[in-house]
Amino acid sequence: MDIIRYRKDVWGEEVILGVSWDLLWVIAVTAFLLLAAHAIFMAALAKKKAMPSAEGKRVHRHDAIDRAFHWIMAGSVLVLIFTGIAPIIGIRVSWLNIHWIAGLVLSFVCIFHTIRALFWQDFKSMLLGPADFKEPFDESIKPGKYSFEQKGMHWAMTVLVVAVIATGITLLLHIDTPWWDRPSVDDEGTLGIWFLLHGTATLGLIAFTAIHIYFALRPEKRFYTRSMVKGWISEDELKENHDTNKWKQD
Amino acid sequence: MSSHDVMPEMSLYQPVRVEDAIGIANQFADRGWLVGGGQDTYGWLKDRAKSADALIDLKGIESMRGVKETADGIEIGALVTLTEITKDPIIAQRYPLLAQAAGRVASPQIRNVGTIAGNVSQDVRCWYYRRGLNCYRAGGNLCYADTPEGMNREHAIFNASRCVAVTPSDTGPALVALEAQMVINNASGQRVVAAEEFFVGPNLDIQNTTVLRPGDILTAVRIPSKWANAQFYFEKVADRNAWDFALVSLSAVMRVNNGVIEDSRIVVGAVQATPRRLTEVEQAVRGKARNDSTADSIGDLASRTANPLNYNHFKMPLMDNLVKRALRGQA
Amino acid sequence: MTYMHIGKDFTPPDVEAKVTGAARYAEDFKKDGMVFARLLTSPIPAGRVVSIDASAALAMPGVLGIFTADDLPEAKPPANPALAKEWVTYIGQPILAVAAESDFLAEEALSKIVVEYQRRPFVVDPLDTLVEGGPDPYPMGNTLIRNSGEAAAGTTASGTDVGRIKWSIDQVTAFRNGREPMGAEFGSEWEYGDLAAQFAACSTVIEEPFVTIGQPHHSLESRTGMAYWENGKCYFHGSLQSHTVGHNALAGMLEMDPANLVFINENTGGGFGSKIFPYPVMAVTGRFARALNRPVQLRITRDEEFYIGSARSGMQGWIKIGLKENGRVGAVDVAIINDAGSGGGGSGSSSAEHISIMFQPEAMRFRGLSLYTNTTPRGAQRGPGQNEMAAVLAPMMDKAANLAGLDRVAFRRTNAPRMDGKIGERQGGISSSYMPEAIDKAAEMFNWQQKIAQPKQISATKVRGIGVGQGFHTAGANGYDGLIRIAPDGTIYLHTGVGNLGTYSYAAVVRAAAEALQCNWDNCVVVHGNSDLNLPHSTYQGGSNTIFTETRSSHVAALDIIEKMKEIAMAEFGGSTADYSIGEERVFLTSDSSKGMSYGEAAQKAIEMGGKYSGMEYPENINATTQRSVQAMAGTGLIGVAKDLLPRSGAVPGMAIAFVEIELDKETGKFEILDYSAVAECGTVVHPQGLSQAMNGGGVWGFGMAQSERHVYDPQNGLPANVGLYQSKPPTYLDVPLNMNTVGMDMPDPQSPVGARGIGEPAQGCAVAALMSAFSDALDGHLFNRTPVTADMIVNHVAQNGFNTGNLKTNTF
Repeated sequence: MDIIRYRKDVWGEEVILGVSWDLLWVIAVTAFLLLAAHAIFMAALAKKKAMPSAEGKRVHRHDAIDRAFHWIMAGSVLVLIFTGIAPIIGIRVSWLNIHWIAGLVLSFVCIFHTIRALFWQDFKSMLLGPADFKEPFDESIKPGKYSFEQKGMHWAMTVLVVAVIATGITLLLHIDTPWWDRPSVDDEGTLGIWFLLHGTATLGLIAFTAIHIYFALRPEKRFYTRSMVKGWISEDELKENHDTNKWKQD
Repeated sequence: MSSHDVMPEMSLYQPVRVEDAIGIANQFADRGWLVGGGQDTYGWLKDRAKSADALIDLKGIESMRGVKETADGIEIGALVTLTEITKDPIIAQRYPLLAQAAGRVASPQIRNVGTIAGNVSQDVRCWYYRRGLNCYRAGGNLCYADTPEGMNREHAIFNASRCVAVTPSDTGPALVALEAQMVINNASGQRVVAAEEFFVGPNLDIQNTTVLRPGDILTAVRIPSKWANAQFYFEKVADRNAWDFALVSLSAVMRVNNGVIEDSRIVVGAVQATPRRLTEVEQAVRGKARNDSTADSIGDLASRTANPLNYNHFKMPLMDNLVKRALRGQA
Repeated sequence: MTYMHIGKDFTPPDVEAKVTGAARYAEDFKKDGMVFARLLTSPIPAGRVVSIDASAALAMPGVLGIFTADDLPEAKPPANPALAKEWVTYIGQPILAVAAESDFLAEEALSKIVVEYQRRPFVVDPLDTLVEGGPDPYPMGNTLIRNSGEAAAGTTASGTDVGRIKWSIDQVTAFRNGREPMGAEFGSEWEYGDLAAQFAACSTVIEEPFVTIGQPHHSLESRTGMAYWENGKCYFHGSLQSHTVGHNALAGMLEMDPANLVFINENTGGGFGSKIFPYPVMAVTGRFARALNRPVQLRITRDEEFYIGSARSGMQGWIKIGLKENGRVGAVDVAIINDAGSGGGGSGSSSAEHISIMFQPEAMRFRGLSLYTNTTPRGAQRGPGQNEMAAVLAPMMDKAANLAGLDRVAFRRTNAPRMDGKIGERQGGISSSYMPEAIDKAAEMFNWQQKIAQPKQISATKVRGIGVGQGFHTAGANGYDGLIRIAPDGTIYLHTGVGNLGTYSYAAVVRAAAEALQCNWDNCVVVHGNSDLNLPHSTYQGGSNTIFTETRSSHVAALDIIEKMKEIAMAEFGGSTADYSIGEERVFLTSDSSKGMSYGEAAQKAIEMGGKYSGMEYPENINATTQRSVQAMAGTGLIGVAKDLLPRSGAVPGMAIAFVEIELDKETGKFEILDYSAVAECGTVVHPQGLSQAMNGGGVWGFGMAQSERHVYDPQNGLPANVGLYQSKPPTYLDVPLNMNTVGMDMPDPQSPVGARGIGEPAQGCAVAALMSAFSDALDGHLFNRTPVTADMIVNHVAQNGFNTGNLKTNTF
């Protein structure tokens, strides 16, 4: 199994072509096994706790615009992943235009989200500090608005999405679009490195998207998913999972 | 860089039954190479631009030969040579469009061995790709032709998607015009695909020009009687009048009643990766007389949405002119 | 004059073998123990070889060795090296050869060799290196300069170096835009007459830019060679268009005594100028065989032939032409940039000579510059310089004539060279010219007046184009040797060192000897193609040269042998040689024909008499090659041998005029040639079928040059687009007219004993010129100012979409 694919460039010199798509299967199988193991562990071994009630007073968690951002981002990431891997796994779909348009959508919503988070939201609530790292090991410590896992997921996704966007836009500059024609490529090795980074980031994004979806669907986390749809969690869910002193309501 | 004159080592299989050929093709999957006339085989393999573990020579399969009449038209065996098509009395009488198209392929020597299946299945002729460069179509990261300085006179003006190569087939557009059906066999059985769906552009599959997958064998081409004895127009413009690929070709069939075009199918070759059907033109001329006036009224409808590269703008007026000639019925 | 052989058709001895396929070419020869060599070539357009790791290849069983530039004398730029190392200057340039027990193994071994390169900037368009700041094809510059240095041993170039010439952006821009590049530096320049005064006296003056794109030779027989060494001798099966004239050069490349080189080359599958002399890769074949001490066949593939098989130089130029009221061309000022590829050079001066002889301007200036590019090396290709100039000049001269209100043919006749015609810089004379008469004859054949009176519009989409064009090439030399042997059985062996390109001129020229000997052709054997068969020092087989030059040397050899036969007869029957005649293959007393002897009997006597008669002695002035041949044959018959010292002065012009009528489809850019008529002004016709073949073959090539053949290079990466034969697009039989009407003027040149001049090159020049002229005429005088004119250019022009390539770009679509 290869990690990196190499090809001869126009002058016969070996250059990087991109990440090996063998890794796609490695990522898929590994993610599946880990998540399955987690599911089994949770089902068989983890301490069963009563689920907090969704009834009662509702606590606002996400503004509508943020929820919209999330789902647009989720949609564009899923479209990007599907259109990106379809030709690799042999699904015939006219993917390229959808892919880069989805990429642009993702880029715009990320810019929007960044600006909004910086200036209109409690940006600090998502910051991951040293104290957060005690949280997984001490059941008595409850998080503020976002748990350690959520912050970790957020920042992992942030890094991966930024990497995918940055490399994707670089690659976008190398294809025909309504705004520009593709240029000559002087250095195929550099182009290959961009493809390598884009592919590697994509593999990471696939893995973390799978993890994200898995946890979003887990019974004990499903109320977060609901909050991302409806905007609220119940007071019981809040008290069970969060430290209200740390969660500054917007 | 090395140049080759000697074929690489590989196994040779010479099945005499389609089922056996399918079995071998299935066994070797993408490492098997089907060969009929060999005109788009030996160069690739000799030059090491592509490779195979096994050459599956289909020429011994009698059931893939000959032109047969069917209840609704004719069935042309995949191994029927282009010369045989030009000389077949049924094709000459009912589908002269196909006979003319086959007669303009390459040279007499190549037509004598080249088959109808090979002609429609052949790979693109982009000179960068044929050189063995690792372009998009070869699994690479870029197109050398679609750049500000790329030498792309013969390339696509429509529907390029990273790759800008065009279909080189002369018979492909004719078969699309005639609403031919492509009979494909594989281990799962048989499927029949409309010629229009048979060809695949780079937006869907950048490394293949047809729907054929490893293990598939195109065994026959069926032409329905729908367009038998209809009015036809074929023209191929190439730099040379023999041994050359089209700059633009046009195949048209028309049902004309009292001088009025009741229905038509107009298909252009060498302007995109697949034969390009001009549905807008077909609609525009429906119910109009087949004459100069109708031809002139079409203007640049055929090429209006073209997106030419640096050196192939000429394909737009050339294509429009061929459409006009088809509608006039004469050069 | 009535001839016995001259002007009569005959069956050249190799025709049957050519038709049946029995004829053998270099690649057909095998030798016990022969090994197979293949080339590894450069994938980069410019740079140097940093290292070669062949260990994996050499470890393969059956792989015998590699041969690199280190095994050859160093060839400094601009010499075209057999194998490159320090100066890699084009994609496809040979880097090394590998030899193995089988050709399959040799190819496998190539894939195991790792060559590390260091890349350098590259350029594929001469104007891109000419502009200040532009990349240079060699690290040391972009053009050839002369010095007094000697060539390195075993290399072919001497007295040259690579220097640098640059123009300012303004000068290049002006040139690109069709204006004179004021104050620009050129590499060579000549002028005659008072240019300014003559232009001032002209009533019609035009200025035009022009581009002709070079094209590969693509000889059908590639440069495959096979060599082996036995007992100190090298036996070399090769492919040259000359034979003996290349012998010493090949021996020099192999650093050996020419006497020990046996060069075998009975048939040659095309050279077109690229195989006149030995080419660099031959050094690899011969030296590799010596190094391995095994017979080596170095096979050159079709695409390798594209790279190393030479190519025509392209031109980018500017011209100013002035016509006087009387229809005479008063002045011409022409500037030409030649694309010399990575080696070789352009023929700008020859291009200018074409103008000077065909239109006899009263004043003329030529300025030329040959620039290297990182494309395949260039060399002579049929009528180098002259034919590409013929192509672009014809429609420009049409324009000038039309502006002046002159009939295009009458204008050409007015300016055509007559017997007192002059040529080139020194305005030297010519051996003869019947060009005005040839123009009249061709116009009559073509029905010029009737043709131009026809309506231009043929149908709604088709228009008529009538074109006229002229071709020229210098067609003769002197000073070579003739050699004949008559055996005691009466067989007459006509030895020639001329190569056999398929023109059959090697056989046609020795018929001049048969003519002088008044002998039956069936009793003659043409001896050629193998230096072990004792060949004389003959001229290079360079198209038009052969007929003039070698009929002379054959003639003098025949005169020598006739004189000797008379002396032998005189010894037998008395009297003086003046008393003897020849006839029916006998030498006899004129007064009593019973007193005489057959040629065979004379030969027997010659053996008995020895001395000069049997070749024991020979003239001192003959070439060393001829001397060796005579020595080898001494005592085997009657030997006739002589150096051509017949009088000669001035240039020997081969000329032709052609007319073309085309039907051009403005909707597709395609055309059909309805009529093609051409007259060769080549002196006495020696071999009518050969002339017809030369005119037809040259005409077909001219059509290809006009409509489809060209180099295409991607300027992004230096890759050539038309490596394959089909991509280079020589015309097919469906691209040429079914009938081509060609004849010779058949007027004798006084400097040839049989009145003959050659015609190979002008046959192409007149055809390409006439077709280019016809394109312009069909499109109401539009000038494309470039060859070839392809269908897409015509479609673009008619559509007026402004997309035709401009700015003098070359090596591109």
